[in-house]
Amino acid sequence: MKNAAEQSGSSSTGLRFHRRAMLKMMMALPVAGLVPRASFAEAARSLVETVVMPGGAASWKLRALTPQEWTTVGVLSDWIIPADDESGSATDAGVPEFIDDWLDFQRGELLAEIQGGLAWLDTECSRLHGSTFVNCTSDEQRQMLDRIAWPERTAADDAQGVAFFSRFRDLVLSGFYTSEAGIRYLPYVGNQPQRGWQGCPAPVVAQLGVTNVALPLEQTLPSQGAVRPLTPSQLSARVR
Amino acid sequence: MMGAMPESEYDVIIVGSGAGGGMAAHVLTHAGARCLMLEAGDWYDTARESKWLEWGYDAPHRGTTDDEHAYGGFEAVVGGYHVDGEPYTCAAGTHWKWFRSRMLGGRTNAWGRISLRNGPADFKPHSRDGKGFDWPISYEDLAPYYDKTEELIGVFGSAEGLENLPDGKFLPPPAPRCYELLIQKACRELQIPCIPSRLAILTRPMGDRPACHYVSQCYRGCRMGSNFSSPVVLLYPAQQTGNLEIRCGAMVREVMTGPDGRAAGVSYIDKEMGQEVQVTGKVIVLAASTCETVRLLLNSRSSRFPNGLANSSGLVGRYLMDTVMSDVTGWVPSLMNLPPHNEDGVGGMHLFVPWWNYERQRLGQLPFSRGYHIELSGGRSGMPAPGLLTGSESLLGGGYGKALKQRSRSLYGSLVSFHGRGEMIPNEDSYCELDKSTVDRWGIPVLRFHFRWSDQEIQMARHMQETFQQIVQTMGGKVIESYGADQRWGISEGGEGIHEVGGTRMGSDPATSVLNPHCQAWDCKNLFVTDGAPFVSLSDKNPTLTIMALAWRTSEYIASQMRTHAV
Repeated sequence: MKNAAEQSGSSSTGLRFHRRAMLKMMMALPVAGLVPRASFAEAARSLVETVVMPGGAASWKLRALTPQEWTTVGVLSDWIIPADDESGSATDAGVPEFIDDWLDFQRGELLAEIQGGLAWLDTECSRLHGSTFVNCTSDEQRQMLDRIAWPERTAADDAQGVAFFSRFRDLVLSGFYTSEAGIRYLPYVGNQPQRGWQGCPAPVVAQLGVTNVALPLEQTLPSQGAVRPLTPSQLSARVR
Repeated sequence: MMGAMPESEYDVIIVGSGAGGGMAAHVLTHAGARCLMLEAGDWYDTARESKWLEWGYDAPHRGTTDDEHAYGGFEAVVGGYHVDGEPYTCAAGTHWKWFRSRMLGGRTNAWGRISLRNGPADFKPHSRDGKGFDWPISYEDLAPYYDKTEELIGVFGSAEGLENLPDGKFLPPPAPRCYELLIQKACRELQIPCIPSRLAILTRPMGDRPACHYVSQCYRGCRMGSNFSSPVVLLYPAQQTGNLEIRCGAMVREVMTGPDGRAAGVSYIDKEMGQEVQVTGKVIVLAASTCETVRLLLNSRSSRFPNGLANSSGLVGRYLMDTVMSDVTGWVPSLMNLPPHNEDGVGGMHLFVPWWNYERQRLGQLPFSRGYHIELSGGRSGMPAPGLLTGSESLLGGGYGKALKQRSRSLYGSLVSFHGRGEMIPNEDSYCELDKSTVDRWGIPVLRFHFRWSDQEIQMARHMQETFQQIVQTMGGKVIESYGADQRWGISEGGEGIHEVGGTRMGSDPATSVLNPHCQAWDCKNLFVTDGAPFVSLSDKNPTLTIMALAWRTSEYIASQMRTHAV
């Protein structure tokens, strides 16, 4: 099995170029998971400017977010899904691209809610620390997130921020768990054509304490041979 | 209305290529009739166009589409609730949603493949409880056609011998998924039946069609032809007879009638050329989909038929019905952290819950008269799609970082959903008519909908909510999505079931029905309907199998009438 860096690097489309660059940058940093956010954000911003904005063949063209929002989305996404020894981070998995595309696709209230939330975050950080979220120190960012990441322990004044962060976290989870890396992390082991259907595996049946009454189909079926699509002659339209 | 008609080019003109039109074409071409099929959408070949096995991360928006347009995602649908250039309207207070699929095979490309027979009580609902109307035919009339349909299309299931749920000619069912076994266990404790589902998916090879390969993607269309769709199972074999011509992009405007009052042919717009075309036929079969068939009849006005064709009863468009739906989702901790396993299976549930309260209803112990069944989903079945593992506040408790990442993964596969699908009793307030002020892009007047659930349906939705929550609790789970009285127990909007039927109901009296017991128009004897419009009631059973069995019966009648020159 490939590691996260190889998965990212082996992806065929150029869209992943800047994520690979980010990944390399992060791997060069001393402590995994405790990336100094200000320097990362600075580097990410320069990547956005040099790679995303000119719109070359190898870049991600922003669809809904501004460059500043894009940077914040990347930093926030990696706070939510960081890299660990089992997978890369949200940005490694292309979550910011997913979010930018999804917001463009859905538009309307969702886009306004996310953009408004990102603005709220920067306003609040500026008020407290004199700089936007991505330019705050790692500790300042963490303090901010701890105010809005726990709906049940939040002050009423932060309700706006909580609603935003809950929605944003959902977007990150959606993007991560539908990415190639997220599917390996789960893992989802389907989408593989089968010769027969085995039913629930015996260890799981035992763990659940259920009774499996039906025979697996393999026991009732003759071997089918290779799985193959029908040929055009079998499934074609004679007359248009 | 036309003057002198040229000699008919075709024995039969069939409008629509879905379940009803496909079956009519299959039966009639094999009986030797020269058939012309007109389909409003484009050609669609599932063997080439299905998004089979494609990963979400390789597709636009992860293979999803928005609520209104279904085109462009993984789903084998061209259309949706919104079709460009083809509007419809709703009366004040009505929120009807009309799903259309403009493609060869119509909605059979993406449908759920659930294939349940109507039972004896479903044909005689008025006799059962005094509400609604009886069909002019009985279960025994249709049973041989259910047999033949199941043997042709391939349906898996199990013989259970349950009340009002006739067993069929079944292929063996696939073994249950893990979460389904857990639901079955809870149902056993609650004395609710939970049995193998009945889907039109091959678990054994049938002719050129290989058995299922279990990737749970039936809704994308099957490149193998292992599930039922009208083109693969009905239309291509019909073409092999040499008796079927299919014209796509043909939007039918009206049925033309001759001076004798007989249907002479149809007039359609060739969408590619932008031209009006008239074709003649000895028999006209309408299978355009329930509401489109109604619209066609209402738009087929002439001095002889000023209120539309076949509408002397005034009942065309009346008694529109759709399935009653309400859902609950639960989180079941014992399904967390299971060993990874492939739970895809077929493109649909392996187990379901048929209606089980006939005796209590006979005793008058429930506040509604008809039944529902429960469709199941959940676990690790199917490719992860956006929305997976979200709902962070109720389940994850919030947070971020490595702990959130691990916690969210541990939840994977632990959600189960219960989808109630119930019978609506036809009412006077649910119908469609022509909107006199709105036309589509071809100038054809559009439909205006009126729709209302009665208290019967609301009470049924309440029973669904209470039952599903009880099952979740019995599984040791926690309900995370449910609906209360202020949300009308989560009842769907009319049309969202995509089971719309009625509008040209069959009957034994021309004053109170549009079609006779052979689905032949009382007013026009060479005009037949083979889609969902002839339905007199909509049982909890999904309508497609009954549409096909009825279309087979109607088509055999047409063939016999043509042999004796009666039509």
